[in-house]
Amino acid sequence: MADIKTLIAELTQVAENPAKAVAELKKETGKKLIGMFPYHLPEEIVYAAGMLPVGMWGGQTEIKLADKYLQSFCCSLIKANFEMGMDGTYKKFLDGVIMAAYCDTLKCVCEDWKVAVSELPLIAMYYPQNRKIAAAVPYMENEFKLVQAQLEKIAGKAVTEADLEAAWEVYEAYRAESRKFVKLVGKLPKTLNATTRHLIIKAAWFMDKKVYTEKLAALNAAIEAAEAEEFKGAKVIVEGILVEPVALLDAFVENDVCIVGDDVAHQSRMFRVEGRKEGSVYEKMAYRIVDAYADPLLLDEKKEHGKELINMVKEYGADGVVVCAMKFCDPEEYDYPIFKAELEAAGIPVLYMEIEQKMESVGQYKTRIQAFAETLA
Amino acid sequence: MEQKEKLSSKQMLNDLMADHYQSALDAKANGEIVAWATSIAPQELLTTMGIKVVYPENQAAAIGARKEAQKFIDDSEGRGYSVDLCSYARVNFGYANLKKSESQDIPMPDFIYSCSNICHTVLKWYENLAKELNIPLIIFDLPFNHTYDVQDHAAKYMKGQIEEAIKKLEQITKRKFDHDKFKEVMEQSNKTSQMWKDATMVAKAKPSPLNGFDLFNYMAAIVTNRGTKAGYEVFKRWKEELEEKAAAGLGPWKPGEEEKFRVMWDGIACWPYLGTTYKGLKNNGINMVTSTYPDSWTILYDNGDIEGMAKAYSAIYCNSNLQNGVDRITRIVDEYSLDGIVFHSNRSCKLLDFRQFEQQRQIEEKTGVATVLFDGDQTDPRAFSSEQYNTRIQAFLERLEIKKEERRKG
Amino acid sequence: MYFLGVDIGSSSSKAAIIDENKNILARVARNIGTGTNGPAIVTAEALEQAGITQDQIKFTVATGYGRVTHTQADKQITEISCHGKGVAHLIPGARTVIDIGGQDAKVIRLTEQGNVDNFVMNEKCAAGTGRFLEVMARILNCSLDDLSDLAKESTEEVEISNTCTVFAESEVISQLSQGTERADVAMGANDAITSRVAGLARRIGITPVVVMTGGVAKNESVVRCMAQHIGYDITVAPDPQTVGAVGAALFALESFNKK
Repeated sequence: MADIKTLIAELTQVAENPAKAVAELKKETGKKLIGMFPYHLPEEIVYAAGMLPVGMWGGQTEIKLADKYLQSFCCSLIKANFEMGMDGTYKKFLDGVIMAAYCDTLKCVCEDWKVAVSELPLIAMYYPQNRKIAAAVPYMENEFKLVQAQLEKIAGKAVTEADLEAAWEVYEAYRAESRKFVKLVGKLPKTLNATTRHLIIKAAWFMDKKVYTEKLAALNAAIEAAEAEEFKGAKVIVEGILVEPVALLDAFVENDVCIVGDDVAHQSRMFRVEGRKEGSVYEKMAYRIVDAYADPLLLDEKKEHGKELINMVKEYGADGVVVCAMKFCDPEEYDYPIFKAELEAAGIPVLYMEIEQKMESVGQYKTRIQAFAETLA
Repeated sequence: MEQKEKLSSKQMLNDLMADHYQSALDAKANGEIVAWATSIAPQELLTTMGIKVVYPENQAAAIGARKEAQKFIDDSEGRGYSVDLCSYARVNFGYANLKKSESQDIPMPDFIYSCSNICHTVLKWYENLAKELNIPLIIFDLPFNHTYDVQDHAAKYMKGQIEEAIKKLEQITKRKFDHDKFKEVMEQSNKTSQMWKDATMVAKAKPSPLNGFDLFNYMAAIVTNRGTKAGYEVFKRWKEELEEKAAAGLGPWKPGEEEKFRVMWDGIACWPYLGTTYKGLKNNGINMVTSTYPDSWTILYDNGDIEGMAKAYSAIYCNSNLQNGVDRITRIVDEYSLDGIVFHSNRSCKLLDFRQFEQQRQIEEKTGVATVLFDGDQTDPRAFSSEQYNTRIQAFLERLEIKKEERRKG
Repeated sequence: MYFLGVDIGSSSSKAAIIDENKNILARVARNIGTGTNGPAIVTAEALEQAGITQDQIKFTVATGYGRVTHTQADKQITEISCHGKGVAHLIPGARTVIDIGGQDAKVIRLTEQGNVDNFVMNEKCAAGTGRFLEVMARILNCSLDDLSDLAKESTEEVEISNTCTVFAESEVISQLSQGTERADVAMGANDAITSRVAGLARRIGITPVVVMTGGVAKNESVVRCMAQHIGYDITVAPDPQTVGAVGAALFALESFNKK
């Protein structure tokens, strides 16, 4: 088990202190870093341009400056990003930022950013919502081309088809290894508790994906070789955009609740769709959006979010679903009443918690998680 | 015909709206197909197919204005819809469940017709409706323009969606789409749009013959009848009336009630408090002359040019970038000789809200007019405070007076 | 053999003692909450009321906001489970529990067997909690307990429409300055809080028998308003403030027997 512990620590350390990790990443690789706003973005192009994508998923920052642009009812995750743009945190290590408008808030923040954080180049783009129709793929290819041109300017080098192919392979490998990892968590529910699981997945956002994938592959192999842990607590699937702060995850651990699977934007939704094998890299990137399923940020005519959650509960042998609804996130808030009714009809217990990324006290959440665990027992 | 011309535009508007709703209810009762659509969707396709369509936003506004919103809001919140979601959506989900309103009934839809140029919210809202009612969904997704103008590849994507929508409509109705009729409808739609715009532009006269709160009433006609001759006639009559008043030098209100200041309203109306918001301005001699509404329904393009049509739908105020929006309002301030702007920070509308602070700053700097921002909501009665509103308008008035005095002194 | 339940809330502490046959021997409530010597005081008073000493207590369960810091307890269980347990014992057949506390409001759905099936709690906003009534009482210059009597004198309906407590505060002050009767405002405040909590209740569905617990349940006019909003009669649990403590004591007995 010592081996597993070491492998885990290497990754969790990164996620526990992103600022430090990113500073080191820049120093060690000498590469330019491009910030990735939530959510699906053409990271492969950044990688192909010889730069490294870095996740921008808010943080435990106090909002002081962002209130100049955003009302109180703006989601805490995007507001934290905006704050760190304004206060110069990102400028310290990023050379550019990519943002796509997945919701009304992001549309506006993209515009505000141009004014408020003008010193950090912004590449604004859009992913089509009517993604299943024929016209969607050429639209995306066009968007990728425009993004590539702007990235080439920052990188000071042209991107070749071979660069793109190589980057695509790195990302497909990362996604495959990540899919493998989330399926293995249930085998070691104590070692890979809610907090540890979160940190391991989160680390990918602050590392060279190639390096991360190697480390995760080693960890996966170690988990496969290990003996399954006995576990008497509850097993749940978490749903949401982001499950933070860590104190919230600790509340799962304290109450013996294991997160065996996730339907979370910051985690599995990023890597659960496997790329197609045919076509140019741009086409394959576009088809990952076309093929995405049950994703609240992408139009879903059949609205299969609930169905997917029910499938996950069965597949992972979970006892219930914990919804961590990011306060003021429209797409999530629209989906909840629909899948809640479907889960209830299927007899699956649901705990709903409205969360913000930075919370002064998680006391009430601890009570809820404990009470939920009490009802599942 | 003779007699009809004597009707006032208000009468014509009331008749038009009564007919709009009644004919849709009748159509449903007769087994015809009915659509629910968003307020600035490409209605041309539906009008060409002769499909009856109603607009939930319009109905929600009516429900809000008649102070009936709370019961629908309670119903949808009871099913788990967050209080932070758009209140039009919450009212509509409530109505879709309860199906009965004192204010205005609408027939239940056979399919959904939604266009994202007004916000992303409608994509999610209508996706839910299609699921809950188990009916087909036709979506137009118009990428938000973070560039100043609409990009060509975005227009091509939109064109692809229009072609797709026509196919779906043919499947739903089991009828062929008539391309000649389509051209006629496009022509009429351009004419009606232009007449709406022309009528609202009469408000440029000083004093303005238009009391801008009337815009909120006539808006119902441009939402529902942009593709019809009847809509055109209402705006034509309205324009005549306004021109007559302007020629006679009449202002927005009764004689003796002077238009001291001219302002623009940014954002959707505060429907449950129309009276409060109106009187708060009027009692201080402030006339709301115009808003961003007139341009939002001025959808103009060359007949037969589908990509041009796509661009026109995409280029509306809500879907345009900050710079474009600031420039538009700056032009409005100039063209309508405005003294100030009232910004409604509308809890329901994140798309308009989250660039409003910066917009307010930039416009103040560019134009020098006074501005004020108040908190409210388009239909949720719980998110507005009369005290806050009146206090802010009072402070706004004080600034308007100082600025006027400064101008007088040169 | 005796079993102790201690319910430590944000602004009050409660204790209950039962014997091995589930007979309730003591129920005590004091308006001092977590972080004070409240828990010690109510424990001492409960022991006195039951006529026993601390060493006769075989098992203690702590619940409520301050349960985690109450180290003297053998076990801590959430107030959700405890309120459910207490109500199921005191009022057999109860299926829905509404509890309005100082910091949070909760609605608990019970199974036919009296176990917690599901629950909802208010989100961050204070509009649906006891805190809202405290603010209203302060503006009306009366105590929380007097709010009920004051509301009884109401003759005219006043609507407090704002969701936000800060907005509601200014709304109420303006009403009063315009000459609205204090009684009508008190009634309006009761109506406002119950409509919020009723919304919460609708989210998990309401099945009779509906029971109210917590200190606010002693406010008759709140209970009446709540019944109107949800459309069901409401049974107020006997000595509603100590129901959670009774539930905790029942859990103490169960836990002891399992051991």
